Amino acid sequence: MKFLYEKDLRQMKYTILTSMRHDETVRAIAARLGMSDAKLRMVLIRRFDMSLLENIESRWQMGQQHADDGDPVAAELGCDLFTRFIPLVDRETMQTIYSETTAMTQEMPFEEAVARGKERVREAVLS
Amino acid sequence: MKKTVDVSIPLGPMHPCWKEPVRIKCETAGERVLRAEVELGYMKKGIERIMRGRPWQEVMFLAERVCGICSVVHNMVFIEAMEKISDIAVPPRAAYLRVVANELDRVASHILANFSYCYTIEHETLAMYLLNTRETVLDNLERLTGSRINTAYMIPGGVRFDLLPGDAAAMLADLAKVEEEMKRHVRIFETGPLIALRSKGIGYMSREDAIRAHTVGPTARASGVEDCDLRLRHPTYRALGFTQITRTEGDNFARVMVRFQEVFQSIDLIRKCIETLPDGPIRGGGFCKAGETSYAGEAPRGELTYAIKTDDYGRVIDIAIRTPSVMNIEACAHEMIKDAASIADVTSTFISSDPCIACNER
Repeated sequence: MKFLYEKDLRQMKYTILTSMRHDETVRAIAARLGMSDAKLRMVLIRRFDMSLLENIESRWQMGQQHADDGDPVAAELGCDLFTRFIPLVDRETMQTIYSETTAMTQEMPFEEAVARGKERVREAVLS
Repeated sequence: MKKTVDVSIPLGPMHPCWKEPVRIKCETAGERVLRAEVELGYMKKGIERIMRGRPWQEVMFLAERVCGICSVVHNMVFIEAMEKISDIAVPPRAAYLRVVANELDRVASHILANFSYCYTIEHETLAMYLLNTRETVLDNLERLTGSRINTAYMIPGGVRFDLLPGDAAAMLADLAKVEEEMKRHVRIFETGPLIALRSKGIGYMSREDAIRAHTVGPTARASGVEDCDLRLRHPTYRALGFTQITRTEGDNFARVMVRFQEVFQSIDLIRKCIETLPDGPIRGGGFCKAGETSYAGEAPRGELTYAIKTDDYGRVIDIAIRTPSVMNIEACAHEMIKDAASIADVTSTFISSDPCIACNER
């Protein structure tokens, strides 16, 4: 949503993300997704509002504790983590990636299938 | 399916129902709110940056200026974090007096939050009654600490002032009066049919949503999240036999009622502290040392965390403050307001989560 009288919030959003704890969180998410910190920051600034950026550290912590218990493919891809806790990918896209990766695990080694699935998640985050 | 947006409605930054400036942008389809975005940055203080490099004696005063409504707990958590770094013990009498100050602050904060809610749903009579009762609570905070808002009551190893026997008796008498008045206010709130119409089933947040957004304090407890009150882990509160209040409705009504119930609980805790107040000194000894810690305490709105790094001279080298409103405002915007049936419920739902923009924009 854009209003004519709105300010550009990118600088303030960047300030939130570069504070001590938020910076650690962004680096941890970027490492998990296998992408650069700068690219992830750009995506976060574009997609998330200021309140969600402020809370990203707590959401990441809760995601580490509660997301994707049980299913190894979902845990590797971060199905719950990146749709519900840190909403970087929409649920339909993630469901498609999950289904395709699960199918691939029948045809090729688990690690290779998961690596391809993660690549798709990365593309979805950057799209 | 792609959502169709009829109108984007900005609420704020200046709004009659907001205590502090914030803008909530609501995407609506008819009366239904599809999603909401929160825009901050109207009162950023940069207080963490101001704190860096300063000695703890200065940071102590800055810490309680993060928020004017729950300043005592900012003071308490910062000081307890410094004590944790420096292995400073607190005399039992001082530990009990800290609980008294903290609970008085909690009562004042909860009453103010419920005042705001009643004001927002246009029940101004009850709102004004609550504000009147809050004055008595602040008077007692002044009786104990010498100040009503920024008290600077706690210092490493103790507290600054003792509670005199005459003051203790006067405080107990005042608390009995506050308790009676609050019972009447709760009865008005619980039995009001129009209040129920604006509150019950409105702004619902499930337990799972509350956990996902790391919601804390009364907002989480109203959605049935157990074991989320940090007072359960605090040694003085454990000695006083503290138990957490939880409700399961998850709506505006539950959030306000949890705060009402906690007011009575806090009054009981203060009473217990005063009646069993141990004899002895109110200040121990000790020096603030170099170290690093992350320490959390239960503020009126929920979990308040201070991550501090100090040097040999007790200067704060680095500090990060995570206030409860960071979590609660986000949960409110993205879990409670999302898919709300009416745009008219946005203001009351937002206020029911007791948002503190000053805390959020520390």
